[in-house]
Amino acid sequence: MKRFSLVEFSVRHPKLIVALAVIFAIAFMTQFPKMKTDTNPKNMLPATSDVRVWNDEVDKTFALYEDMIVVGIKNERGIVNANTLSKIKNITDEIMKIKGVASRDVNGFPTITNVTAEKGTLRVAPLMTDIPKNEVELKAFKKDLFDNPLFLNRIISKDGKTTAIYIPLEKGANGKEIADRIREIVKKEKGDEKYYVAGDPVARDTFGAEMFKLMGIFSPIAGMIMFIAIYLMFRNLSLAISMMMVAMISIIWSMGLLIGLGFPIHIMSSMSPVFLMAIATDSIHIFNEFYFRYKERKDKKAAIIETMLAVGRPVRYTALATAAGFAVLMFMHIIPVKVFGFGLAFGTVALRLLSFSFIPAILTFVKEEKIEKASEREDIGLSRTAQLLKNLSSLGAHKPKATVFVGLILLVVAVIGTTKIVVNNNMVEWFKKNSEIRIADRVMNQALGGTSLGYVVAISREDDFIKTPEAMRYIEGIQRHLEKLPVVGKTSSVVDYVKRINRVLHNDDPKYDVVPETKEMIGQYIFLFSMSAKPSDLDNVVDYPFKKANIWIQLKTWDAQGMRDVIKAVEEYKMANPTPMEFKPAGIAYFNLVWNDAVLWDMLRGFIIAMIVVFVILAFNFRSIKWAIVGYIPLLFTILLIYGVVGFIGKDFDMPISVLSCLSLGMAVDFAIHFISRFKQRLVEGQESGVGSQESQIKYPGPLTIDSRLTDSLLWTAARPGKGIMRNAVLFASAFSVMLFAPLTPYITVGAFIVGMMMLSAIMTIVYLPALITLLKGWLFKGGDV
Amino acid sequence: MAWYLIVLLVMLLPFEVFALSAEDVMKKSQAAFLYPGKDFKARVGMKLISKEGKERIREMTMLRKNYGEPGGDQKLFIYFFQPADVKDMTFMVYKYPVKDDDRWLFVPAINMVRRIAAQDKTSSFVGSDFTYEEVSGRDIVDDTHSIVKEEKLGAKDCYVIKSTPKAADVDYSYKLSWIDKANFLPVKEEYYDRRGELYKVFTADEVKDVKGFPTVTKRTMKNLQSGHRTEVTYLKSDYNIGIEDSLFSERFLRLPPKKWIE
Repeated sequence: MKRFSLVEFSVRHPKLIVALAVIFAIAFMTQFPKMKTDTNPKNMLPATSDVRVWNDEVDKTFALYEDMIVVGIKNERGIVNANTLSKIKNITDEIMKIKGVASRDVNGFPTITNVTAEKGTLRVAPLMTDIPKNEVELKAFKKDLFDNPLFLNRIISKDGKTTAIYIPLEKGANGKEIADRIREIVKKEKGDEKYYVAGDPVARDTFGAEMFKLMGIFSPIAGMIMFIAIYLMFRNLSLAISMMMVAMISIIWSMGLLIGLGFPIHIMSSMSPVFLMAIATDSIHIFNEFYFRYKERKDKKAAIIETMLAVGRPVRYTALATAAGFAVLMFMHIIPVKVFGFGLAFGTVALRLLSFSFIPAILTFVKEEKIEKASEREDIGLSRTAQLLKNLSSLGAHKPKATVFVGLILLVVAVIGTTKIVVNNNMVEWFKKNSEIRIADRVMNQALGGTSLGYVVAISREDDFIKTPEAMRYIEGIQRHLEKLPVVGKTSSVVDYVKRINRVLHNDDPKYDVVPETKEMIGQYIFLFSMSAKPSDLDNVVDYPFKKANIWIQLKTWDAQGMRDVIKAVEEYKMANPTPMEFKPAGIAYFNLVWNDAVLWDMLRGFIIAMIVVFVILAFNFRSIKWAIVGYIPLLFTILLIYGVVGFIGKDFDMPISVLSCLSLGMAVDFAIHFISRFKQRLVEGQESGVGSQESQIKYPGPLTIDSRLTDSLLWTAARPGKGIMRNAVLFASAFSVMLFAPLTPYITVGAFIVGMMMLSAIMTIVYLPALITLLKGWLFKGGDV
Repeated sequence: MAWYLIVLLVMLLPFEVFALSAEDVMKKSQAAFLYPGKDFKARVGMKLISKEGKERIREMTMLRKNYGEPGGDQKLFIYFFQPADVKDMTFMVYKYPVKDDDRWLFVPAINMVRRIAAQDKTSSFVGSDFTYEEVSGRDIVDDTHSIVKEEKLGAKDCYVIKSTPKAADVDYSYKLSWIDKANFLPVKEEYYDRRGELYKVFTADEVKDVKGFPTVTKRTMKNLQSGHRTEVTYLKSDYNIGIEDSLFSERFLRLPPKKWIE
């Protein structure tokens, strides 16, 4: 068999193998300087996806900016005073000088278009061209500000304490750099005012910076923790080092490959180093067995080859299962998930290749006396861990019915929990509650119309239809209907401008705060407005031929449900009031909704594919469907329990969790593969010798019945490979526990999920597999099948 | 011999003794560009073209009458043909140097004349890339002018004048103008924003001689930042046609005389 020769070759030429691994690593490392990050949520879906094509079209049709930073300014004593207003003016002026800011369309007090009537003169001009100098001017300004419904909840809060400056960015501008610059600008202003910098680009680019931090700091810490844990387990520095080297090499290989192929680092792939480090711990089974074997054989080379023979098959299959779990991700629609799956599948294969070459090679370098010293502790009888594991599994083996019954109760509870799961991706909540971004978002959502922006595009069949009173009144009706939703903070459209002009032309008479009666009036009012407004004022709300209108919807939440409510409300309104116009949602809020649903369906699909693939691998490995089913149960049980917990604690089921649900199958199945493979091996070894194996002979003397041989083998498996399983789980968990301290919630979620899953699935394997095997032995061993 | 030398010196003199200051150049340019003749009429077509190539059309008849010296009072009357729904809309401006202009608009759909005030230094003229001020002209005293260099632009010898606003009342921090030495018409203007980046470019694309007055009949203003541009064409340009003072009144705003607007 080929792989055995790889092990033997490696044992014979250890230096060559190490040199090759390092050379490859250096080659991959040359790609690292090309590293780019991509934290734009848009790129979660391909540029060709319907929602992105449509959103781009809407952006073009209505000259909208992709990115907008919002600066909130709050003064508890009210914004409208000469001092605060002059600060606002200064800040706006300074902001407009920042490179990358689309100055022409910055909207704040000094720049936003206002339409007023003063002494019979119609005035279309920026709201605050000069800072009001005295009480009279202040009073007039206040009137201008609060009288224009277009301003309320947009640039002024109802209580007059908060204003906002909307800062669109040119394409390709770096949001974080601009946000940092803005923070510097506001820092210079002294006084009672508080400043909040919010908006999508800020969140996105801050996220990118944190991501690098995570990769740069948390991955090495995770590595150190694992290193210490391995050392404590094996008391051998060179073993710990070799394990870490394997992990490092595979990380370098796979990250180098991803970067080399031109993939930017996304949120998911930034987690790959920690994942690979954890997966590398699977080689613990090799070391674990090697120690036992060495103690039995006292011949290093023979022990290495025998070890690889014994654990080779399960290690190969677990690697296959894990790699398959990752590979499944490549079939998803969400790009970062695909890249992540590809990188990790490659990394896992690399790890396994190294397990069969690099590790045996390293083992040859370890001094014999050191191994001897360390391996003395590896005795099933003496080791406390082994004893504990044995007790755990004997619980399952001796009281299988009770164990299964308890399991069933837990299962029912878990299923109830899963029904409470809410699928939601809220990218603002990827930041911690007290982070600057979350605070800014909260303050602005309380004071103003909402930071999450969606659009509803009204599409008619003929040019100039939007100018008809019919269309205008319909759009107005939809706006009022949407504003009834608690998530909607403000809506604006061309209708608001037309009504405003109508009223102002008629000496500010509130009677005229309505849609005018004729198309000519509407057309002329719009023209009148466009005669001196900023071109973007109108461009943002109607298309050139007046066939389409864009209704802006400000939402007070980034939850996907917000936009779902909006779409539903629009449909309801359309049902009740038929119209020839069509209404289509767009904007970031809509993208989030589509993406959110894609995550859900991807997850379901991925989960089902992963289930099938893992099952097939199990069936192949065990050459038995029955055993595959038995191996499967603790796995499903673990996952159901975790989802139960997710449901009960009310954590959103978001992208990281859904990705994990696919991965977890591939990773948690490792334990079942190890357990069952080794158990069956043990059973065969016992059958061939007719008695229990060497060590257990001492403890279980005399001839053995099938039943007692079964129990004996189960307990042996729990104690010896079981120790490897526990070690593996503990290492895995310790690596991921670092993520619990990460500054971003997705990492915390992933950390908690993996820690929980690994520990739980190890315990489930050790308790439930013996119970199931004992309970189902009649079925499993029918016809002497082992 | 000495006589020839004198002739030669005299020929050289204008460049030495009568060299124009930057203000002089700008004044001559203002007179040539915005004040030629006693009055002026043109059918103006404006194409507002977005970055994606979508177009909005404005079509109007523009009538202008000068009162006093170049740079002095001026009255403008504009009648809109396009867009279709504003047909019959009229717009009138009394332009005064130094103080704010007076403007009136007639809204035919509600048969109403309204005075309108606009921030003419920064507001876009009917949605185009020109501001009101760039259409009607900026007061020369509002800027400090300097001659940066003299150079050839295409076949034209030009002065390059840098004009820096004295107050921060416009969107640009300074403007460079290429003024044709032959006729003092602007050939090109570059507008630099507060960051010092070039953001708007004006070009005079076609100059025709109308009744002895060189007239820019095609011009473009392009906003480099938004990618939006406005192309303007003057058709049927004419000077000294005898526009009466009475045209510039509310009465004719409501009912513009056919002979002038056609």
